[in-house]
Order: sequence, then C-alpha cells, then structure tokens
Amino acid sequence: MISYEHFVLNNGLKVYVHQDHSTPFAAVNIIYNVGSRDEDEQKTGFAHLFEHLMFGGSKNIPSYDTPLQKVGGENNAFTSPDITNYYITLPAVNLETAFWLESDRMMSLSFDPRVLEVQQKVVIEEFKQRYLNQPYGDVWLKLRPLAYKNHPYKWATIGKEISHIENATLDDVRNFFYTHYLPNNAIMVVAGNVTLEQVKQLSKKWFEPIPAGKTKARNLPKEPVQTEARFLETEAKVPLNALYKAYHMPGRHEEHFHAHDFLSDILGRSKSSRFYNKLIKEQHLFNSVNAYVTSSLDPGLLIIQGNLNQGVSIAEGDAAVQDVLDEILLNPVQEEELLKVKNQAESTLVFSEVELLNRAMNMAFAANSGNIDLVNQESAKIQAVTVEEVAEVAKNVLRKDNCSTLYYQAVN
Amino acid sequence: MILDRTISPNFKTIDEVNIASIQTIVLANGIPLHIVNVGEQPVMKLEVSFEAGGWFDYPNNGVSHFTAKMLSEGTANHSSSKISEFFDLFGAFTEFGHGLDRANVVVYGLTKHLSSLLPMILEIINESVFPQRELDNLKNISLQTLKVNLEKNAFVANQVFRKDVFGAQHPYGNSLRAEDIQSINRDDLIKFYNNRWKNQPCRIFLSGKISDAEIKLIETFFGNHQIAKSDISSKVLPETDYNSQDKILVEKENAVQSSIRMGRKLFKRSHPDYFKMLLLNETLGGYFGSRLMKNIREEKGFTYGISSNVAPFARDGYFIIGTDVKKEFTQQTIDEIYKEIKKLQTELVSESELETVKNYMIGAFAGSLNTPFEIIDRYKVILGEDLPLDFYQNYISNIRQVSAPEILEMANQYLSEGSLLEVVVGGK
Repeated sequence: MISYEHFVLNNGLKVYVHQDHSTPFAAVNIIYNVGSRDEDEQKTGFAHLFEHLMFGGSKNIPSYDTPLQKVGGENNAFTSPDITNYYITLPAVNLETAFWLESDRMMSLSFDPRVLEVQQKVVIEEFKQRYLNQPYGDVWLKLRPLAYKNHPYKWATIGKEISHIENATLDDVRNFFYTHYLPNNAIMVVAGNVTLEQVKQLSKKWFEPIPAGKTKARNLPKEPVQTEARFLETEAKVPLNALYKAYHMPGRHEEHFHAHDFLSDILGRSKSSRFYNKLIKEQHLFNSVNAYVTSSLDPGLLIIQGNLNQGVSIAEGDAAVQDVLDEILLNPVQEEELLKVKNQAESTLVFSEVELLNRAMNMAFAANSGNIDLVNQESAKIQAVTVEEVAEVAKNVLRKDNCSTLYYQAVN
Repeated sequence: MILDRTISPNFKTIDEVNIASIQTIVLANGIPLHIVNVGEQPVMKLEVSFEAGGWFDYPNNGVSHFTAKMLSEGTANHSSSKISEFFDLFGAFTEFGHGLDRANVVVYGLTKHLSSLLPMILEIINESVFPQRELDNLKNISLQTLKVNLEKNAFVANQVFRKDVFGAQHPYGNSLRAEDIQSINRDDLIKFYNNRWKNQPCRIFLSGKISDAEIKLIETFFGNHQIAKSDISSKVLPETDYNSQDKILVEKENAVQSSIRMGRKLFKRSHPDYFKMLLLNETLGGYFGSRLMKNIREEKGFTYGISSNVAPFARDGYFIIGTDVKKEFTQQTIDEIYKEIKKLQTELVSESELETVKNYMIGAFAGSLNTPFEIIDRYKVILGEDLPLDFYQNYISNIRQVSAPEILEMANQYLSEGSLLEVVVGGK
C-alpha cells in the first residue's frame, strides 16, 4: 500500500507526494504523456531522440547533468511507445535543485543545433548497438509491423529506420516540445523524505510560472481485428533458429488484462511453466522459450518466443508450441497452476515497492493512465482472476487467425 | 519578485551516512548468520554462500559453475520440475549464483513463507543428486547459449580482455569454452559438491523485514547439522605478475561497431591506493559527466556510451575502459582515450570538477544504501574480502580526502604509456 497526497497547479501540472521519512533521499519522477505512438509515421524515433535532447541544456541552465551531480544526485530517462519518463534521486536536503532543473527544461530547451547534431549521432549508435549489432537485435523491427497494420505500435520506439533520425530538424524539435512538453501534459511524483507543504511551496515557486499549452486530443488509428494468420520468414547470421509468435490482447488497464498476463505466465514465465516442461525438458526442441505480455496502454501483444536447439527446424518447434496451446484449450488451467502465477505476481508486486524510486514510478504510471488509485488496486486485481476467466481468454486470444508468426532462420 | 532561474539553489554536501548495522549470530554448528533488518515491505532475501566459485575448480574449468547450476536439478526426494514448482508456488525467486570467488544459493520471497521454504533450501544444498539426464540437458542449453553469446562483440571483448589481464590459466582469466562444457561429467560435479557444498562451512545472509521468529527458524534449520571438516585446503595459485600490454584485434567483418576494451590488472579493495584510484576512475570514465563520456559521446557522438571501471575481487582486481563505437572511429576513439589519460597525467583536476566528482560519488554511494538487500551486499563484500567492518562507514571521508595531485600521481603510476592492454572486437 503506497500512501500519497495530491494537488494540481494552476497550469494543470498534477503533483503527487509520497512521504517516506525512513530514507534521507528523495525521488522526483516526471512523466510526459507522449511516446513513440504519437509520432508521425515519416518521422519515427523522434520521441526517443527528443528525450536525449532534454539533457542538452535548457534556456537558463547550459548543462543539465553537472549541477545535479554536484549536489549528489543521479538521473536518467526512458521512452516507450506510450510515455516518456524522467527521474532523479538525490539527497532530500537538496530537493530544490531537482525542481530548478526540471522546471527550467519544462519551460524551454536551449534548442542548440549542435546538441541536435551530436545526439542524432549518439542515437544512431544506440540504434546500431542495440538493434543491428546484436544477434536477434532486429526482431522487434520486424515483428511490430507484422502484428500491427494501423496502430503506431507498428514501429519501434528507437524508430523505423536510421534515416528518420538523421532527417530530424530543429523545427521538428521545437514543434514537438511545444506540443507535448507542457505542464498540463505531465505528471510529477515527489517521494521520500519530503513534506506536502515543502513540495507545494517548491512546485508553486518553480513550476507554476510555466504557462499551460494547448494539448491535442490523442486520436490514434485503431488496430482492426486480425482475421487471418500472418507469417513472415527472415534470415540472419545467428547461431540458432528462433520462433516468435504475437497475439493481440487488451491494453494494460482494460478488462481481462490480468487473465491474459497469467495465461502467458502459465505458458512460459518460469522453469515450472508448461513450455519449459514440454519443449525444453521433455522434447528437447528448444534452448529457451518464454511467454509474456507487452503491457502497453493501447491493446497489446501476448508474445511467445524461443530459440531452437541446433538441428531443429522452426516448423517443428512451431508445431510443438501449437500442441501446448491446443492442450491448454482442451485441459484448461488448474486452480493450483493459477495460484502459482498469482503468488509470483503478488510477490513481484511487493518487491517492486521496496525501492523508493520504483514506488514513485508505479504512482506516476498509474496517474498517467488516468487513475492514481490503480497503484493500490493491483493486488485485488490479481486475486480476482479465476480459472474460468483464464480459460475464456485463452480461447479468445490463442487463435491462429489472431497470430503473427515470425520464423527467424539462422544462416552461416 | 521575478525568479532568477540562472542561479542554482543552495545545496548541502553529505558528510556522513548512517548504514543500518549488521547483526551476527553464530549457529550451534559454527555457521555465521548475518542479519540486516530494514524496510517496511514484508519481504526477505536469504543467501547461503560457499567457497565454491571459479577460484576452486582449477584445472577443471567449469566444474564449479555447473555444480552451482545443477543444485536445484534434483534431490533424493524431488525432481527438477518439482523443485521449480515448489518455489514458484510460494512466489519465491531463486538464483544459483556463481562468481569468481564464491558461489551461493539465493532465495527472495515474502517473509511469511520462510518457514515453508527452508526445508527445500536445505535439501538442495545438502541432498542434491545431479541426475545425468538433467546435466545433459543443461550442458546442451549452455553450449547453445554460448554460441549466441559468442556472436556478441561485447561478450567476446570482455572474455578476451580478462584472459589477457590474468592469463588463460588463472581462474579470473579463464571463461567457459565449448570444450570445457563438453568435458563436464557427473562424477567431477559430485566430487566438487561433496568437497565444497554438502555440509560444508558457509555464511548465511538474511535481509529484509526480519524478526526474531525468522532468526529462530534459521537457527533450527541450519544450526543443527554437523559441518564436515573440509579436507581440501584453499588452493594457492602461484602469484603471476602476468599483465599483458598486448594489442589484440578480433576481426568481425559484418560488424557495424567495434567493442573496445582497454585496461590492466589492478588490485583489491584493501590496497592503499584504492580510493585514489576510484577518484581517478570516476573523473576519467566513471559517471555520465566523466571526461570520456563528454568527449567521445557528448562532443563527438561516436558512441552511445563509454565508461571505465575499477573492478576489485577477493584476490585481485582490474581496471577497464569499455565502449562500443562506430567502426570507422575505432582508432580515433582509442587515440582520444589516450589523450584524456595524458591530460590527467599532466594537468591537475580543477577544484570545481573534483568537487562535482566527489559529491556525485558520495551521493551515489549514499543513495545505494536504500534497501536491505543493497545494505547486506556491502557487508558481504567486507566479510568476503576481510576488510575492516567500518570500511563503508569511512567511505565518504576516504573519498573526501583524495587530492588533485594524488589523482595525477595515480594516472602516472597506473596508466602510464604502454601499461594498458587493448582489445578490439570488430575492426579498425
């Protein structure tokens, strides 16, 4: 259970405060309600490139990092298809430094062309390091456009291609900033050894002068229901054949999300899962195999992925996966099997609340999705799932015509 | 009054940190139990640690690794699947960790389940049977995982680097090769298990929300069996003064980036130069604002990241600089790294930079003591490396004491021309 207090500034910035006086530290987490799903299809990778620019100096502060390091603070950020999240941890006595830095870059960036030029290069190297120069690194660049035909989840957050990053201009940067980086499009969580009064006073001082802007209603193309099985075969110089299967499922806060999550856990979370027992231990077909869900805010994917043992064809592995899926439809999940994955989920949840920063992030995600109370409802939602519900969603989601299959062939 | 946003708010430096203390109890059979009771969440981490890491299996490289990984693959009473199912059912997470020095069994779970979990934990440690079938399966998985890893430039670069720093025979220098995995056999594992794990001396670390009830449980389960007298004394390897200054290139034709590793053998945490070297390292490449990061990433855009590290272990240590860069800029990056080192050898670090480096290091240190698990890990280092118990209490003052001339001296003493080994995987 995470306790919190809440207020809204005149410019629409929502602030949540979580007091924990057992630590000498504070965490400041700011989420901007913009992700790669909000990009123009011809300018993909921009939300993430923009995140890099947020560290390139703001209007009144030439360097973001140095002043924070000087007061003993640390920071980082990440971009997802749904959101962009920035976070700081620092000694609570120096809390004001975080407010000074974050408010200045929310007010205005430096828009220095030199910063854009360098960060384009850095992001291109990140693209290569993570997606091109790694075995199987490009899987998501291929799987996303196979599974999504309309919705912007069809491109990866890093971008569809390197040229999109190369072509970004300062005008793009300005536009993006004044469209999305608005106080009324952000949520701030301040957690740790702080008081409500202190956070109120600092928020008013540093953030309230930032003018609100006009937010655009998000109107993303909906992904139509998939009606036939999709298939793609690709090859690369990797040591083992690999299989990927993606099934459409509900978004993070939609009905039946947890039942889908548990279905994937039962299939392939841990060493006692159905896939592990059948495909690795009994049949020796796979070297590794997992199932998980993408947990995106808009309708997401249930993913099955595995590397096959040397000499096993992908088709053979695919057929064996299908057998396990058929089996779960015929012999639905048992109470004890569900209890197991519920206990794992419950335990993961409790552990996620050990770190102060994680608590702050959990709160920010919940608030961003429209209801801060969700942060304390996870446990009840976990417990509410029944074997009947899991059986029902299994029938609906694990259909061949709801599936995109990618064969990743190893060549020498 | 208009707010002047160009002026930074006042700040305070951290001069001390209160680290939750550790409680140590010696069980009836002599096993030490170390406890850190911190935090509000009802969770715990139990770690049982043995002298059973890579250091101890020479010349049968890989035996210690496979022994640790096989512990949960079958006991007299439970199959591999049953054991996994058991832990999963309690929502507990297990790790069978294998390091250069020690190996350990780690269980994370809700504190309320400790009493249910303990019998199985003890069974794994003392009654493991190493089924041949499971071993074959694990060897097969490991061989193929290795194949995938060998396609990762960074993985290969790290392997080659360690081998060249310590020598191929040294337990810190060798890594698991395909032929090591293939030659693993059940008899060797059982022998190692009997000598290093089963009823052997160990240390127990318990952290999280812990009450007397949990301590009692550990005493009951772990305190009553007889600890065998280990008949193998700690193996003493000849002290090598092996420290290569080779320049090694592993060509990868299709690579779009090169993995660069540069560095040398260094020392343990107890060395008198340890803190001075930490400051040199931090300034050069230890944090986001470091000189290498500013130069190679933030000015030139050659890489997504570059960093340097002081890596100390129980018996030795090394210093490493690592980055993945655009292939065309490989040599230029190496040249720039030497330029930055040269600067540190000839010019004193300014007061303002030194202040930033120190405050950042101290903040990061203090901020890394927030959870019971982080705190007990610090004590594990102290105990595992025979450091004074107040090592981390004095950490901040030791960092504060280092001066700019000392950093310059370190740069000349340890990073002098020709003293660094260079590994490139990719191309030049």
